[in-house]
Amino acid sequence: MPGVEETPGGARRISQAVRMEGIVKRFPGVLANAGIDFSLDFGEAHGLLGENGAGKTVLMSILYGLYQPDGGRIFVRGTPTRIGSPAVAIRLGIGMVHQHFMLVPRLTVAENIAVGWEPTRGPLFDRRAMVRRIEVLVKQYGLEVDPTARVEELAVGEQQRVEILKALYRGAEVLILDEPTAVLAEQETEALFAAVRVLKEQGKAVVFITHKLDEALAVCDRITVLRKGKNVGTLPARQATPARLAELMVGREVVFQVRPEPVESEGHPLLAVEGLVVTDDRGVQAVRGVSLVVHDHEILGIAGVQGNGQKELVEAICGLRQPQAGHVSVGERDLTGASPRKLARAGLVHIPEDRQQRGLILPFTVAENAVLGQECDPRFAIGPWAQARRNIARYAQELVERFSIAAPSVRTPVQALSGGNQQRLILARELGRGPRVVVAVQPTRGLDVAGMEFVWNQLLAMRRQGCAVLLVSMDLDEVMMLADRVAVMYKGAVVGVWRREEATKHDLGLAMLGGKGAVA
Amino acid sequence: MSVLSVDLFIAALRLATPIALVAVGETFSELAGVINVGVEGITVAGALVAAMVAFFTQSPWLALAAAVAVGMVLGALHALWSVYLRADHVVSGVAVNLLVAGFALFSTRIIWGWRGTSAAAPTLNPWFLVGAMLAVVAIAQVFIFRTPWGLRLRVVGEHPRAADTAGINVYRARLLFTVVNGALCGLAGAFLFNNLGRFTDGMVGGRGFIGIAAMVVGNYRPLPALLAAYLFGFVDALQMRLQAYIPSQFSLMLPYILTVVVLAGFLGRAKVPKALGKPYVKERG
Repeated sequence: MPGVEETPGGARRISQAVRMEGIVKRFPGVLANAGIDFSLDFGEAHGLLGENGAGKTVLMSILYGLYQPDGGRIFVRGTPTRIGSPAVAIRLGIGMVHQHFMLVPRLTVAENIAVGWEPTRGPLFDRRAMVRRIEVLVKQYGLEVDPTARVEELAVGEQQRVEILKALYRGAEVLILDEPTAVLAEQETEALFAAVRVLKEQGKAVVFITHKLDEALAVCDRITVLRKGKNVGTLPARQATPARLAELMVGREVVFQVRPEPVESEGHPLLAVEGLVVTDDRGVQAVRGVSLVVHDHEILGIAGVQGNGQKELVEAICGLRQPQAGHVSVGERDLTGASPRKLARAGLVHIPEDRQQRGLILPFTVAENAVLGQECDPRFAIGPWAQARRNIARYAQELVERFSIAAPSVRTPVQALSGGNQQRLILARELGRGPRVVVAVQPTRGLDVAGMEFVWNQLLAMRRQGCAVLLVSMDLDEVMMLADRVAVMYKGAVVGVWRREEATKHDLGLAMLGGKGAVA
Repeated sequence: MSVLSVDLFIAALRLATPIALVAVGETFSELAGVINVGVEGITVAGALVAAMVAFFTQSPWLALAAAVAVGMVLGALHALWSVYLRADHVVSGVAVNLLVAGFALFSTRIIWGWRGTSAAAPTLNPWFLVGAMLAVVAIAQVFIFRTPWGLRLRVVGEHPRAADTAGINVYRARLLFTVVNGALCGLAGAFLFNNLGRFTDGMVGGRGFIGIAAMVVGNYRPLPALLAAYLFGFVDALQMRLQAYIPSQFSLMLPYILTVVVLAGFLGRAKVPKALGKPYVKERG
């Protein structure tokens, strides 16, 4: 087994894979890593925990050769090393699975894994040999995936396995997983944890970047907590408790839960979906006759494993996809298939799942993004041709203050903001319009503890003000905490609706996997 | 009808040759992520340089080599602007077209004293170049879909960062395949010269652009692109014969009308490489 050495006494000694000493990394205006020490052994999973912007990804990007440190030293297997590029890192046996996958959707799994290290027969790429090699890896690590499938046909969890296989195929002994669970549903997360355990047993060193405490505790042997670019503690997982880790992470006690105060609904249906049938991009029915009602002062949660029609349902409600059959009404009006602009005028706002693709225009400024969708509003436009730039800037400034968005100025391009602040800006824009219906999809995905709390409180505030909120989330805890009622989607249908008081994790989990549901 | 004869189908293959060469060339560069609308100008340059070299050296073989070489140089120029200096690909391509158009008028005037026309010069049998085109298409088809470098090429245009982490030099790959594109356009130009025996202004007549259309219709695959090019060649051959029946002003329009119609149908459906036309910036900190 690589990395594990047998000592004369017969006891196994685990050798050190990587040691980083005093790593310093500056970006314009930010000290991302302020002298971090970090070490990693073969055969261990090491959790790298911290809020967004704590420097976790930067530190690991340095190990992977994407950034050059401004100070500090890196030892790989005890040898001081300069890692000038990912290619060097790969040669040293370091692999990284990024949050945004480095896969070409149109190519097959085998092609994606092979590129750069293709087996050949004569001058040709030997596909069959490649498939066989992948099958060997699949068996060895239990990372189930079909090597001949096209990546675009795979679920997110499978794509992630392809990324891990790619790193292993390239000879990775050290595997960096950057927020690997951010894109996964509950069951897929379990499968990933199982895979990490196998990797560990086979002697690999795994770095598990996360900001979720329970995940770090579930799979890791040691946990290093970063805060503001510093290592504030490395401790064995056995000695760690959620409270201790959280304290280290944020340096203050955090409230993990928000508690919705009791609010009385007046029983007006503000968003009604009736018998909705929607097909996905391939023309396959993804939503098969869904009916839902969300009332004033109510949050309706939609739980379910990713890919059970939630995406298509939301797109049909928000005017981004034409339904095949059924109706969508906002308030009294039937707005089936209406344009997003019409829906927005009727008081429906959408907080999309993919903030960077659909929520924002990254190269545009904070101010420009703040009025997206309202750019023709008389407040922000002078006639049909000109922008009222001063009004736009003033309005954006107002939002920045009200939603405490950390932005250097409203003229900053939003791509310079952190993920949490980008989400705040989207929330500010959409909720700032004074909506009646809010459709929020995975609104806390990838956010740190403070960011999550902020989003939750905003949604609860909308509920208090009388909005109907449709919350789609893969995070069961989130749905159960916020929603007044929880609907579970499975294979394009709502298989059950529970009141919060009656919902149990067990029942919902069962329904998400296709078991029987109760209807309330 | 006497118009539809075996001759027509053979003539169509001949007329398809420059279009197919450009289409395959553009397939290479676009798969790598580089749009090159300069193919029209590079084809003109190939024809012009072939005429010059054939005229001065009396060697059609040297002329052929020179046409390919000048295509490579112009391809490299386009790559320098668009890949390394991150200029807009279309603007850079248009610049190549303008550069060549100006140079053609200027140089014919200087050398032969006529604006836009060369003297006659020795040629190769154009059928030799038709054969070369068929070989190029076949090799390109195998190269792109069956070899390691074809796989790398496709990854460079779809996901340059993934290619980069796989140890592939994205810039160099883009340069290389844009130069290959230039070489094939130069070859297309050489064909046009050998076909006519001299250079005249307007002899390319949009075949470079039609080559891009054939690439789109072929959906970035050389063999289907050849079929599309053959369709254009066929209509071109047909219109020449139709000139006996309808005014040439109208029959000459046919290939261009076909281009517009076919493109309207295919443009939305082509699997355009994700990173096409986007400059790659290596992450560096």
